[in-house]
Amino acid sequence: MSAGSREARRDRALLAAWLAAVFAASAVSHVPALLAAWVIAAAALRRGSLRVIRRVLAAIVPVSAGLSIASVALLRARSGDWPDPTPFVALLLRTTLVGFVTLSVLARVRLPRALAAWPTLSRLLAVTLAQIHALRLLATDSLLGLRSRLVRKPRALDVVRGASGVTATLFTLSMRNARDVSDAMRSRGF
Amino acid sequence: MHVPDGFVSPQLTVPAYAVAAPLWVWAARRHFGHASAESLPVVGSLTALAFVIQTIAIPVPGGTSTHLVGVTLLAVIFHPLAAFVCESLVLVVQALFFGAGGVTVLAINALAMGLLGPLAGWLAYRAIRPASEKAAAFAAAYVSMQVATLALAAILALQHAIDPAYFPMPPAVTLTAMLLPSLTIAGAAEGLYTVFVLSLLRRANVRGLA
Repeated sequence: MSAGSREARRDRALLAAWLAAVFAASAVSHVPALLAAWVIAAAALRRGSLRVIRRVLAAIVPVSAGLSIASVALLRARSGDWPDPTPFVALLLRTTLVGFVTLSVLARVRLPRALAAWPTLSRLLAVTLAQIHALRLLATDSLLGLRSRLVRKPRALDVVRGASGVTATLFTLSMRNARDVSDAMRSRGF
Repeated sequence: MHVPDGFVSPQLTVPAYAVAAPLWVWAARRHFGHASAESLPVVGSLTALAFVIQTIAIPVPGGTSTHLVGVTLLAVIFHPLAAFVCESLVLVVQALFFGAGGVTVLAINALAMGLLGPLAGWLAYRAIRPASEKAAAFAAAYVSMQVATLALAAILALQHAIDPAYFPMPPAVTLTAMLLPSLTIAGAAEGLYTVFVLSLLRRANVRGLA
């Protein structure tokens, strides 16, 4: 067995373990169990964990914490008593645990290599990702152009107008470009 | 707008996958199955477009922002099932390549944002189009956004009803948090966006589109 296929199998096994882990973690609402899972995950996925925790703190904690605070305020206003904090702590632990495991595993897996066993899916994802990269550059350039043309900060309507204009152009460009990428991949045996 | 991982238990996420899986197969076969060599680039392209549209942030009073979804546009131009496949792929790409959204809730998000919303929008578009195409496009996008948001809020309310210890947020909080931006800013922005793009595509007279 070649090193490439061994690594592909390792990547696929890691993805399967990740799927099982996140579904299992999403079923848990017991705080000690979630804390134990956090400790195990942090120990098993410690390489690069600080960067991942920073992303979790920036992307996941504000949503869970914001909704929890609003809920606690509402429940307190309704009943006059402070609600039990345990479910809110469990929710925060669960969402951050799933986020941490997801981001850590995805940083360790080379997805194109793991998915190479499914050529059609690989081709579809390659086309999509290539388009996303190209379209994001175009969309960013267009929005920067929009900002530079306005003397004030763009408002919602300005952004919507700008996005509409660029979408029509992107539609035609991306159709042509995607066909080229797809044909190139097919000619290489995908 | 997405429901993130950890908010909904497998009691709901697994049945959602059971509902979504046959729909994915059916939709993919119906719209993209027969000549995949020809249709794959189109699917990839539309998915990428929907993905990029969803990264365009619209400023909301108060310092935060919301984003366009753009899937109603695909439903109106092509078909709601095409929109469903593309939105599902957007969610897959977000979950696998960008670590955003969520993999356990992927089917729930796909059914709400990719199927129910665009289907309602498409029906609204067909009903209003004889009177005015621009009004139909605006209504389609607005209705689509509200239906998708309501569906996701209903799922969270159902999760709260099943097990408040798992998801302690009362429906009043989730409904307000989700519907307020959708009804005020996001729905209108999506409506205007759909009207503008459809007008531009009509004027550009792109073959196979609009």
